[in-house]
Amino acid sequence: MYTDRLLIIFILGTYLLSPAIIEWWSDGGRAWFRPFLVWSLLIGLSYWIGRSRDFDGL
Amino acid sequence: MDFNFYHLLAIAGAWLLFLFLIAWITDRGWLPARLVRHPMVYVFSLGVYCSAWAVYGSVGYAYQYGYNYLAYFLGISGVFLLAPILLAPILRLTSTYQLGSLADLFAFRYRSRAAGALTTLIMLASMLPLLALQIKAVAESVAIMSGDAQPLDVGLWFCAMLALFAILFGARHATAREKHEGLVVAMATESLIKVVAFVGVALIGLFGVFDGPDGLNTWLDQHPEMLARLYFPLQDGTWHSLILAFFVSAVVMPHMFHMAFAENLNPRALITASWAVPLMLLVMAICVPIIVWAALAKDVATPADYFALGLSSRFGDQGALLAYLAGLAGATGMLIVATLALSGMALHHLLLPLRRPQPGEDLYRWLLWARRVLIVGVIGLAYLFYSWVGHRHSLTSLGVMSFVATLQFVPGLIGTLFWPGGNRRGMLTGLLAGFLIWLLMLVLPTLDPSLHWTGLSELLGLRFASPLTQWHTIALMSVASNGILFAVVSLITTTSSAEQNAAQTCAVDSLRRPYRWELEADDVDDFIRSLAQPLGAVTAEREVELALRDLSLSRNETRPYALRRLRDQLETNLSGLLGPSVAHQLVDDHLPYKAQGEEESNEDIQFIESRLEQYRSRLSGLAAELDSLRRFHRQTLLELPMGVISLGADDEIIGWNLAMEKLTGISGRRMIGSRLANLPGPWREPLLEFAKGDVSHQPQQEISLRGATRWLSLHKSRVHESLHGERDAGQVIVVEDVTEIRALELRAAHNERLASIGRLAAGVAHEIGNPVTAIACLTQNLALGASDDELDQGTSQILEQTRRITRIVESLVTFSHSGQLPQHHHLPVDIHDTAAEAIALLALDPDRRRQRFENHCASGLMVSGDAQRLLQVFVNLFANAADASPDDQPVSIHAERTGEQIQVSIEDLGHGIPAALLDTLFEPFVTSKPPGRGTGLGLALVYSIIEDHRGSIRVESPTREDHGTRFIISLPAASSAPAADGITA
Repeated sequence: MYTDRLLIIFILGTYLLSPAIIEWWSDGGRAWFRPFLVWSLLIGLSYWIGRSRDFDGL
Repeated sequence: MDFNFYHLLAIAGAWLLFLFLIAWITDRGWLPARLVRHPMVYVFSLGVYCSAWAVYGSVGYAYQYGYNYLAYFLGISGVFLLAPILLAPILRLTSTYQLGSLADLFAFRYRSRAAGALTTLIMLASMLPLLALQIKAVAESVAIMSGDAQPLDVGLWFCAMLALFAILFGARHATAREKHEGLVVAMATESLIKVVAFVGVALIGLFGVFDGPDGLNTWLDQHPEMLARLYFPLQDGTWHSLILAFFVSAVVMPHMFHMAFAENLNPRALITASWAVPLMLLVMAICVPIIVWAALAKDVATPADYFALGLSSRFGDQGALLAYLAGLAGATGMLIVATLALSGMALHHLLLPLRRPQPGEDLYRWLLWARRVLIVGVIGLAYLFYSWVGHRHSLTSLGVMSFVATLQFVPGLIGTLFWPGGNRRGMLTGLLAGFLIWLLMLVLPTLDPSLHWTGLSELLGLRFASPLTQWHTIALMSVASNGILFAVVSLITTTSSAEQNAAQTCAVDSLRRPYRWELEADDVDDFIRSLAQPLGAVTAEREVELALRDLSLSRNETRPYALRRLRDQLETNLSGLLGPSVAHQLVDDHLPYKAQGEEESNEDIQFIESRLEQYRSRLSGLAAELDSLRRFHRQTLLELPMGVISLGADDEIIGWNLAMEKLTGISGRRMIGSRLANLPGPWREPLLEFAKGDVSHQPQQEISLRGATRWLSLHKSRVHESLHGERDAGQVIVVEDVTEIRALELRAAHNERLASIGRLAAGVAHEIGNPVTAIACLTQNLALGASDDELDQGTSQILEQTRRITRIVESLVTFSHSGQLPQHHHLPVDIHDTAAEAIALLALDPDRRRQRFENHCASGLMVSGDAQRLLQVFVNLFANAADASPDDQPVSIHAERTGEQIQVSIEDLGHGIPAALLDTLFEPFVTSKPPGRGTGLGLALVYSIIEDHRGSIRVESPTREDHGTRFIISLPAASSAPAADGITA
């Protein structure tokens, strides 16, 4: 799959899921750090992808 | 507070000096290269994004708009999480073509000076509020801390110091080719200190105000309205626009573009940045609500934007200094890098197109001074904006104005990376429209409410008192108008071929098929002479030398492929110096290609291959499979055990496999892209002659190599390109080294001769025996006494018999001789005489002496060749004919001239050759004779000798109803041979 298609799917997916994400986020109450947990998860995922994949030309 | 105006200004000066020292020791090479090029240095240098907005503005924004503040940190995090997809293609473009800014990228992509100039102007306009925000943040923080300083005065002093340091930091080199390692390390240090200081302020809040996380939770339980205030703004609909604005600004803002792409020292660091930059931002972002809550809990009196300063001031001078340093670091980092980037853009796209240095002037010095003046100009403009209107507006207002403006570059950027169909007209129209909407609807009414053009607002259906309350609607409207106009105008207008090429070069999924154009310059000196006109002789020489060094090429390079690469590299390097528009025009004007239609040009296979190799891991699906297939075919050709040369239609060498390298000792790297005429001595003439000649097969080409003779078999075939209607796309030449086969053949020929001599030995003994007997008798008669007449007669008879013996011995010696004349030493050979000598030799063979031969060849029919080897041909063919013929049937030999050829036929009336053997008759060890009678090498040898003479041989059998065989030999005639056939018994 071409990488730009992956990008389109990611952006579309994020856009479609954003109302649900924001609703879940808004219901945090005292767990105000919820977005930071998701954020950390994404950083971990990015670290793992960066380690396991060789990006040609970089 | 114990700080006054001068203390704080001195701290700012010391801070700038500290950053300068870091940069200076890095540039002097005092820091280890491993540290300077470490990915984390790149990561922290990208922290320049976190300007005073991150330290002050985001705290105020969080206080006012709750969780919406996160958009600032999440936008850039999103960009870096997608770095391998989004940023890597831009980095590849900017590093390949030395594009230092977004204006460079757009000017390169849209092949338009106007695109570069408009991008620069709009970028300058959109950055002014953000630059003013930094000045305002520093000036107001000094005013808050000192209590009596005038922010406008502080701003002026701060800007003066900044201009000086910006010049020292970045404007010491004229070209973008040289990276500012010092600047990168200084910015990384600045970010590290900024993050540590900001986290320090948050920790002061957490532990100094709440006694730790538990205390914070207790306080939040007691103040549920604080959490509600944090969550509530998420529902107001601006979230998407905010994320988009900050997502885009992280790529297009000049300071980010400069640090992420132009100053990238290690491209692989982008992979580390993809997780480490979001992590750094997460650390900063999580501090923001803690600082807000701590400031509210402590009833800090400062405006919300300066909560960090107000909060930390409650904990002593050290605490205040920590917050001041964090803000100062954020502001100075952003201001220095943005100023350098904007001055570079203004130089390349505003100043240089209007005025270029004269050829006599020192180009580098001129550029350096121009850049310094522009740095001062940019900082001056920022200060003017701040003092004129900026100081009256909040950090949020200024930041929003800038961030919304960056959205206007989105359509152009999408066109660059993903839509090669977009063109300059569309891009310019869209950008201008988006910018005007931003300016008229958001900026002017915000700065001065009397400039609110209500007519336009009503036309667009917007009703609001303050534009900032509806900024997200204006942002979406401007970017939508921009995008729609870009698409529509691009679709209805035409695009030049130069722009199409540039678009394909930039596109992620490029379809460009580069062509080989022939340059008018023939060598490197031509390049220097041509470029000396616009650049001056010294600069031209230096730039060409640099480009040659970049490409690892030598000064005496003449290969067309290398010269094309040199031209590209020069354009790239000059682009770093003068900007892509000026560089492109300069190279186009002074290093032109020869006039050639696209249909006549050839595809640049080398360039396509190198690009495919570069993008290998990015191919997937069918493209990856096709690439695997291509690699397989390429490897097959490369490792073929025979030499292969691929030539383009313009005779440029585009393929030179490993066997050719081994055979010639010349590497493919040296030959690819050159012409056959560039080949060294012994190879040039034979290969050039063969490539240009009409024959497609040359069996044994002699070549003298390092004192030894080698034999090559050459074959060629024309290549047709079906995509262009069977157009000739060049040829492929296969070079086979047959030296060893040739040696084997010679050995086999020698063995065959020895076998023949063995067979002839008995006949020779018999032939010599007769004259010896005669000599003995004559000598006896003379010994018994003879008259003078008898003595004379006897002596002459003895001499006659002796001559007969000598003739026999000479024939045998000639036949057994194994030497061979080189092809270029071939002499005229009389067919009749050679056939007669072969007949005489066979008469010595006791088995064949009774065979009758009829030599019908005309005397004087000459072929060009080696007499001794042609004798071998006739002996072998006559012996075979004699073996096959009944005793009473003659073997007849005819010869005639047809055009430039002499055709010799040898016909017997024997049993003929079985049909099954006809196809393989000339192969070694094929024989129709019974075991022990023939070696099977005779006809193979005949075939080889005839091929060496550039002749041909074929066989017809049966020639009568069921018997008879005819061998027909065709050999090139020697000059001045008679044209008529003659018959001689």
